[in-house]
Amino acid sequence: MPERRQPGPHLSLVKADNPPRPGEQVDWSKRMALAQGGDREQYRALLLEIEPYIRSIAKRCFKYPADAEDAVQDVLLTVHSVRHTYDPQRPFAPWLAAIANRRVIDRLRSETRKKAREIELTLEHESFSREAFAHETFSQAATNHDGIAERALHEAIGKLPPEQRDAIRMLKLSEMSLKEASRMSGRSIAALKVATHRAVTNLRKLLKGGQPS
Amino acid sequence: MRTPDLIDTLANSATPVRRLRPPVLRAALWLLMAAAVLLLLAVAHGVRPDLSTKLHQQIFVAGMVLALATAILAAIAAFKLNLVDNSRWWALLPAPALALWVSTIGYGCLTDWVSIGPDGIRMGEAIRCFATLLLTSVPLSLAMLIMLRHAAALRPTAVSVVGGFAVAAITSFALSLVHDLDATIMILIWNLGTAAIIAGLASAFGRQALAWVASRVLPGLFQSPIR
Repeated sequence: MPERRQPGPHLSLVKADNPPRPGEQVDWSKRMALAQGGDREQYRALLLEIEPYIRSIAKRCFKYPADAEDAVQDVLLTVHSVRHTYDPQRPFAPWLAAIANRRVIDRLRSETRKKAREIELTLEHESFSREAFAHETFSQAATNHDGIAERALHEAIGKLPPEQRDAIRMLKLSEMSLKEASRMSGRSIAALKVATHRAVTNLRKLLKGGQPS
Repeated sequence: MRTPDLIDTLANSATPVRRLRPPVLRAALWLLMAAAVLLLLAVAHGVRPDLSTKLHQQIFVAGMVLALATAILAAIAAFKLNLVDNSRWWALLPAPALALWVSTIGYGCLTDWVSIGPDGIRMGEAIRCFATLLLTSVPLSLAMLIMLRHAAALRPTAVSVVGGFAVAAITSFALSLVHDLDATIMILIWNLGTAAIIAGLASAFGRQALAWVASRVLPGLFQSPIR
């Protein structure tokens, strides 16, 4: 592809749904054409220039900066691996926008799937576990000087219905994964999650002096 | 890994790449391959004995022409969809031909059922039919999969399904040419089943496949998750 720099901005390239500012993408199409030919400096400049644009898409879709950063890197890797599918005759921005949107949507979907099968630890879970099980196993903790709360918790766990008790012991005390616990107990992951959730609710009630439901 | 480092690594590993040829040209290439498979099949197996009489039946000719049209349009649509900046509506390109073709299938099945009865299909023919089906659809599916691999991380489902229709239509055309048995439903189920499996695999392993390809380009970089 012969390089022919034309003066002035190529406004015709701005056609994406969420186009970056016109001045920024003047040379993207040309840079990519040169990058396809193996020009590393042009490629580096292109990647540096498109990164903020990709980040602006990712930031809109992900709550946590780390997730947005992962998405940015995913899009950059995808652009890299499919860079030969770009046709310099066509505008660059829609091509990039399409890739970015596809990858972001895919990541959001897999995140939703992950959330559906995992329980996110809240602050309550954390403080609970820190107080009760921070450094030692339960039996050891019960014997040491600040073991009163732990003993109360131990007793509360003992009062739970058997399936909830087993779930909380496997998942929280032995720190098994849902999969391991499911294998050990022969119960489904969904059932274990439900049991754990009920157990935590019941423990809260028990420690406040109530009865398990 | 930090993003600026990733950009450095990607830029440093950027070797010259060959641009993809226009999608219509690539579709034509695939169809040429399909024609070669059909030719080999016709030479090895011979065309069906009643082909000359069949060619006088309008419904048969219409079915053949529509299957071929579906194959051509679906192949073009699959290669168009393979490029991410092309509209998703390309997936509808083979729809009219497909709908008409499927309507002729329905009619054929009905008349066959009426004329030969529910147990009229002989087992031996069905197995030979299935063998032809495999001989046609497996190489063509593989070729299409390789040619459309870029869509793995972007549009796996649409591309595999439309590609699956192209393979299904060609296979059906081949079977109508060499076997005197209407097996179109079997072909559709088989090919769309295959397409569904490929689409499922692609959407399940798209990212892993991408990471695998990328790891060939950038060894040691891809320890997921990338941070």
